[in-house]
Formats: sequence, structure tokens, C-alpha cells
Amino acid sequence: MKSSHVVSVGVTNAQSCPGGGASRRLLHEQVERAQIAGKGRDSSLVKRPKEDFSRKALAYSKFYGGKVGFSPKVPVRSLDDFSIWYTPGVAAVSKAIEANPELSFEYTGRWNTIAVVSDGTRVLGLGNIGPEGALPVMEGKALIYNYLGGVNAIPLPVKVGSQEELISFVRALEPSLGGVNLEDIESPKCFEVLDRLRSEMNIPVWHDDQQGTAGVTLAALYNALELTGRKLRGSKVVLFGAGAANVAAERLLVKAGADPKDLIVVDSKGILHPEREDIDQLMLKNKWKYEIAIHTNGDRVTGELKDALKGADALVAAAGQGPEMIKPDQIAVMNRRAITFFLANPVPEMLPDAARAGGAEIIATGRSDYPNQVNNSLLFPAIFRGALDVRAKTITDSMVIEAAKELAAFARDKGISDRYILPTMVQWEVFPRIAAKVGQAAIRERVARKRLSAAGSLDAAMSMIEHSRKVMRTLRRSGVILDPPE
Amino acid sequence: MPMQIRHAKKEELAAAADLIVRTKRLNNEFDPLFAVVGDAKPRAERYVLNTMAAPDKLLLVAAEGSKVVGVLRAEIRERTFYEPHMEGFISDFYILPEFRRKALGNEMLEHASAELKKMGAEFIVADVPAQNEIANRFYVKRGFRALTSLFGRAP
Repeated sequence: MKSSHVVSVGVTNAQSCPGGGASRRLLHEQVERAQIAGKGRDSSLVKRPKEDFSRKALAYSKFYGGKVGFSPKVPVRSLDDFSIWYTPGVAAVSKAIEANPELSFEYTGRWNTIAVVSDGTRVLGLGNIGPEGALPVMEGKALIYNYLGGVNAIPLPVKVGSQEELISFVRALEPSLGGVNLEDIESPKCFEVLDRLRSEMNIPVWHDDQQGTAGVTLAALYNALELTGRKLRGSKVVLFGAGAANVAAERLLVKAGADPKDLIVVDSKGILHPEREDIDQLMLKNKWKYEIAIHTNGDRVTGELKDALKGADALVAAAGQGPEMIKPDQIAVMNRRAITFFLANPVPEMLPDAARAGGAEIIATGRSDYPNQVNNSLLFPAIFRGALDVRAKTITDSMVIEAAKELAAFARDKGISDRYILPTMVQWEVFPRIAAKVGQAAIRERVARKRLSAAGSLDAAMSMIEHSRKVMRTLRRSGVILDPPE
Repeated sequence: MPMQIRHAKKEELAAAADLIVRTKRLNNEFDPLFAVVGDAKPRAERYVLNTMAAPDKLLLVAAEGSKVVGVLRAEIRERTFYEPHMEGFISDFYILPEFRRKALGNEMLEHASAELKKMGAEFIVADVPAQNEIANRFYVKRGFRALTSLFGRAP
């Protein structure tokens, strides 16, 4: 455990959810359950939470006044210590870093600090609710980073007028940070912002709605394919929805070895193919979707989702709110032993029972109240843990694939079945394992500033994550963090 | 299968017309004054038929086997006041996306230039939306320069 920086973004003013499951998905669910209740939709479609998350979130947020805050990492034995931590002593540290800026990773908390940046344009399922509205979500994300990954994450929604402004803001943050997590930015803007920042910055820039979701999806797919006796290469996979998640999933699947010709992507206008009527519009307005249309779908299938699903081995739906966006008769045309993922929250594109009625064998959703939850929180804390431990300059797709493989391997070690293709959030031992693989992959890919052995990577991740859990235990036991009022 | 650039055949009328409609739709991406009419397809077929029948007009296609992947339509126009008198006017030029970035556009343009010269053209012009930067770059890179500007607005 390294402690060379003076303050850390910690959880001194916060309360974690029971079982460490303070996941993004829960946030999704509580917000959108409230919406659905408001619209008077059939409540039987959505399992009722045992507790009233919305009410508690409001009451507790007010009680604690925020979920994360800064806390010291160094002792202040007397006011004299400030002559070390601050002027005049600190000037020596500044001069050393001036001579070699890379030392900012040694002498300050930069090595373990990331910013969770959003422009508030696509927050949860709520849409463009502005940066202030995004703040509680970014705080929640920062808390998960802290508790599950031992990462100091600063929630940082920003008010920007344009894409360029967002890009220059994030770029300007580089000297203070070991990494950036982009969050809740609308598509297709998010693609351009991520691509630009990844190429222009020397620290990892991560967009969880793209890379995180794609990574967990890949892990789930690995185990679903294993259970049904398939390999990624040679399997026909249909991606329904062409937003942040599936555009990234398509790229990751191809990098992981899928044949692009075996992939079909379907958006709200139907199957993407090189001669679709709006192809020139896509070229001008969404080059990522355009590229997908050109290089996937080797059989030139045209039409709707059902046409794409004929004979398909797997379906990854990230298309929008269900529960009847996809019907059992559409699943019925898939290959036998069909794999189906429905990732929309809180209401999956199709409910698991309906998918089973259509003949699906493996069913995953984004929800915690069904088996097989495809949850970003299974990856992002560990990916950044691993990347930060080796001072990575970027997070490559290969690092994400390694993380996905390890996530899948962890579940296999426990014994996979149609009801268990991914670890659950309470199995926190998976995080250091993934972090170690990510760190080692960064070293192999030559994007690491620091070399660690495989065992060293695992130790570093373990000690950081255990430290965070210990801080939480200690702060709660000592009464610095109070339990919430009932 | 080798790519051929040649005059359009009668049986390729529908395919060529489809690509002409795509050109028009692409133009609409740059300006609402290029909104495409609902019955563009039959109009495009008549347009193609008319072009194929006229001696002063040219309809080239790029075809891979029986598949038409590109179209170029041009005509010879006489200028009243200027010299040189005869221009070869490229009115429509489209290549399907997956066949782009393979120098096919260049080949079609050179092929058309040679044919238009034989038909009497003393120089070549091409008509593209002002906002279509890709098309503008394509022509400038090949030695063309902007000759006129056509402005539009509501009356």
C-alpha cells in the first residue's frame, strides 16, 4: 500500500450499501422504477424492490450531504508538519517533479486518482438532465471505484457548450490524474470524444457505457458459448441496438476473434448492411455505425430483427426499454441452444420467462433480481485498479479482453450453469484477479510506465482493495461514518 | 471478379436508377432544398432511359460481374457567351460505400473525361452540393477549380 500522497478521495462521509453492492444498476433501477410507477405501467412487469430505494436514496443523500469526500492520507502530528506537507518543504517536491514530470506519479496521489467526468447529456435512462443532475450518479460511481477498486475517484460533471469544449476540458486535467472515466455522454458524441481523448492523452481514458458494458458482455458470452459447446469464432451473433454499448461490443468481439462476417447489427431502422438506404447519411453522421454496416453481415441479410435472428447462436440486445420489444416468436427462429442477453435497465427488452418460452437456453439481463446480471461494476473498478497499479498510459482493447476472460474464468472456477455465467457483485475476490491480468496485459502491450511481476500485480491490487475495505470498516466502527437514520 | 467501367446496358436501367436516387438522397444530407420527391425511383428510371438514348449524353457504370456498383451521368452542353464553347457536364456520380476508397472514382472520372472529349467536350465540369466537402475535395485534388457559386434561399 503506497501512501505518498497527502489526501485521497475517500468515503469518510459515506455509507456503502449492504454487501458492497452499491452498483450503478441499482441506481438505474431505483430511478426508473420510480418513473414506471409514475407512468402507471403494469407493475407486475417489474419486480417490486423489497425496499424503497428511491425514498432511501433521497433521505440518505440529504443526511450525508454527498457520498464521497477528501480525507488526509498523512499524519498531522502538529502544525509543524505543514512545513513538510506544504511550504516550505513542498517546494523541494515541486522542483523534483518539474525536473521530471513523471515523478508526479511517485510524489503525489496522481498515480491512484481518476476523474469521473460527465456532461450530463445521457444520464441513466433519464436523458439530458444536465451536469448538476448527473452529480449524484458520478458520486455513486466514485464510491464504487473507491470501495471495490481502491481507486480515488473524483466526481466531476461539467457544463460545456460543445464537444470540443468537453475534449479540451478533459485533456487539460491530465497533469492531476492517473486516468479518466467518462460517463453518461450521449451517442454518437461519446464515440468521437473517447476516440480523440484516447489518442491525445497519456493516461487511460475509459467510457464505461462503451468499454465496460462491452467487456462484461464479452465475459458473459464466453461462458454462455462454453456451456452451449460453441466458440466465438464461427458463432453467429446478433447485436440489437447500435448505441454506445453495442458499437463497442462489436469492436471488442472482432478483436477477441469473432468473424465480422458472422455478426449482424440491427438498429431501430433494421439490419445494418452496406447498401442500406440511409448508408450515406450514416457515413456523414455516425461513422462508427457506418463502418459496422460495411464490414459486418457477410451474408447480406436485410430486413428486421427476426430476419437477423434466423439461425443465430446469440443475441445481445442493448436497444431500449422492454418488456415486449422482442417477442418469443423472434427468439424461436434462432439456432438451438440459443444465447440471449437483454441489457436494458430497468426493464429488459424481453423478460427472461418470455425468452425461455421462445426457446432461449442462456438468458442474461442487466438486472440484479434475475440470474446472470451483466453489470459494469464487475469490471470497471478492477480494470482501473490494474491500469493504475502499472501506471498505464491507456486501456487497450486487449486489456479489456483479458479482463473479460478473467471475469469468465472466475465464474468457471466456481462452476458455471445456465443460471450462473458471471460472478455476482458480492464475490469481491474477482476484482484483484482481474486487476492483475489487466496490469500484466498493459505491460505486454507496452503501455505500462511501471513493471510488476504477475504476483506483484496481484499483491498490489489486493492490498489496495483490502485497504479500502479496511478504511470503511474502521470509519464505521469508530463512528466517523454513521449508519443512516431509520 | 474484375471491375469493368463501361456504358450502361439496357438491363442495368433499374440498378443505375437506384444509384442515381442515392446520389440525390446524399445531396439532401447537405441542404433541405435538395429534399427528394416521393416518386424519385420512376423518375430516375425515365432519366436514365433518356440519357441512354441521347447521343450527347453519357451513362457510365462500374460493374463487378452483373452487379452495378457505381454510376456516372454526364452530357455535352454548349455555352453561349464563353469560350471554350463545349463543356462536358457531370451531373451525377455515385459509388456504393464498400467500393469507395479503392481508386474506382478516379478511374470512372478519367474514363468519363476521355469519352466526353471524344463527344466534343473541351473541358469538364461537375455539379456537387457546396457543402459536400468529400466531393469538393475529390475534384480539387484532380485539378478542378470552383467556377461558379449557386446561392439559394426562400423567395
